[in-house]
Amino acid sequence: MFGDLERTPRTLLVCERSSFLDEKNRLSSQVEQLHFNYKVSMLLPECSSAPSHLEAVFNSINSFYLIRKLPIHELLDKHFLETAVHQGRVSGLSYGTRIDEDNCVALMPNGHLSLSLDKDSFEVLGVEGKPSRFNQRTNSRFVSVDLTDSSMAPGGRGYQRLVTGLKSRLQLKTDFLLSHPPGCGASLHAFLSRYDWSEHKPEIRSHTLTDLSSPLLTSDLQSCDPRRLLEWLGAVDAHVSCENSSSSFLSSLVCPEPRTRLSQALSVSVCGLLRPQDVQQLIQQIRCYLEQPRLENWVSLTVHGFVDSPVSWGGEEHGVLRGGDNFYSLLMFHDHTYQLHLATGAHDTCPP
Amino acid sequence: MSVFMDLNVSFSAERSRMTKLIEAAAHLGFSTVAINYVFEPMAKKKLEIPMPTPVKELIDQLPVVQGRSRPIRVLNRLTVVMSDSSHFRPNATEYRGFDLLAVQPTTEKLFHAACMLYDVDIICISVTEKLPFFFKRAPVNGAMDRGVVFEVSYSAAIRDSTRRRYTIANAVSLMESCKGKNVILSSAAEKPLELRGPYDITNLGLLFGLSEGDAKEAVSSTCRSVVLHAESRKSASGIIYTMKTCSESSSQQEALAADLGEAPAAKRAKPHLTQ
Repeated sequence: MFGDLERTPRTLLVCERSSFLDEKNRLSSQVEQLHFNYKVSMLLPECSSAPSHLEAVFNSINSFYLIRKLPIHELLDKHFLETAVHQGRVSGLSYGTRIDEDNCVALMPNGHLSLSLDKDSFEVLGVEGKPSRFNQRTNSRFVSVDLTDSSMAPGGRGYQRLVTGLKSRLQLKTDFLLSHPPGCGASLHAFLSRYDWSEHKPEIRSHTLTDLSSPLLTSDLQSCDPRRLLEWLGAVDAHVSCENSSSSFLSSLVCPEPRTRLSQALSVSVCGLLRPQDVQQLIQQIRCYLEQPRLENWVSLTVHGFVDSPVSWGGEEHGVLRGGDNFYSLLMFHDHTYQLHLATGAHDTCPP
Repeated sequence: MSVFMDLNVSFSAERSRMTKLIEAAAHLGFSTVAINYVFEPMAKKKLEIPMPTPVKELIDQLPVVQGRSRPIRVLNRLTVVMSDSSHFRPNATEYRGFDLLAVQPTTEKLFHAACMLYDVDIICISVTEKLPFFFKRAPVNGAMDRGVVFEVSYSAAIRDSTRRRYTIANAVSLMESCKGKNVILSSAAEKPLELRGPYDITNLGLLFGLSEGDAKEAVSSTCRSVVLHAESRKSASGIIYTMKTCSESSSQQEALAADLGEAPAAKRAKPHLTQ
């Protein structure tokens, strides 16, 4: 009866160690597979202000659009399909919808439209879909449509069925976040002008921490346990003190041993709808930063995916049981080696 | 997958308190709440069943649920505390004003009758005292077949430590008989501080002996099926229902060509069901 109490909620952690100089490293494909990134947070030890080339990357990250109450059948509009989807670079996610409560929509850069629907909406829409892998008892359905496929060409039967379903039977309207590659913005303006839309730039926050205890991180095999490292990184990002002093009862998190003391560290976070290409640029700039000799020769970069996105790595379904985290953490060293930790919650498939 | 609901929020005559309660529930992430009017008929004096206050008088503007873009939905519910079989009158006209109907039986005979016969949606399990009877499989299975759910409320556990023991003990014995199906967890909150978020209540369900999936269902899909059951109870087996128009003329009849029970909600595109 109480067996469940003894088990902690299921989480999955995949750890990988490799080098940028190794030809077989899969980092770029792993980064590319998480299409919707919400937050990138970086920790630069012994650094007081962001280096200028990193600042330049932050400023070059594209803005994204928030469209209020977009009817989803507009994503199947012929003109939008030709200019945006078939070129293969626009991606978007429904906003203000919870994955375990509402209908959620995701449009991936490869032209796949994924809908996570509850039982009533799925039965009203009338399109083929498969039962959700994680919510089988509550009958939610996962519909995935490839808009670049020939059967979904405008005028085709599959296309007509989906469009009539979304226009007349199930009028699905959600707030939508849309991200576009640089240079494509102007062509979308005609499409966006019909609705209430606003442009947003990713929010950048930086915080200098002083007198921080940190684990001794080296690129050889005796580094600290991944779970304790991730816990410490999370505590630093959330500004939770790891001192565990006897007078404070707020947190009993401690810095993993062996530890060292940093006189200062810079914690930067970028929040918004970020594309994998932006993350790749940040990784490149941090590698350049690490090439020069520093007091501490590691930098950590953590990328969080959206909790309420219907898809996670590689277009696989994502769900929330009690927490919907899907993130990866990259620890880079100056000798071009790195440690990559990919983590998901209970209702997720294994990361690549 | 279904929205989170808290189907037991105590009614109080103070408007400001009700406003704060509904705002707290919306802030915590509940998309539907049901205001509970408790009616306890006593032998000595004759009490009248309270009329539900219209929602507009309780709160000016319904707050938007945190994390979503829809306002919270407020229903009315009546709980009849029964110590005698005459206390619950089936098909009484006063019950029509309420969206949900619940009974709280205090003896074994009444519990059996409520599970097998009475036309209600929810059977409340008392948490303030040690249960005077044991749950037998037969009436519990009978209730589950009819679509009636059992409710455990948790705010008594927040207020008092003795009641915390009774809540856990009664809930655990209920889960042993019903195997975790057809159970809802709700607060019986009188103050905003007695409300807890839906994921916290899922964790509380684990303490009562539910599995992870069952505990989450107890706050979402089972509540949804209760609301649908209540709708079909008000109509004639879910096929025809009457609706009073806003004008003072006689009521209109709307015929729905649909199946019984839960199917009508799926086949017709009623807007409030996709909230």
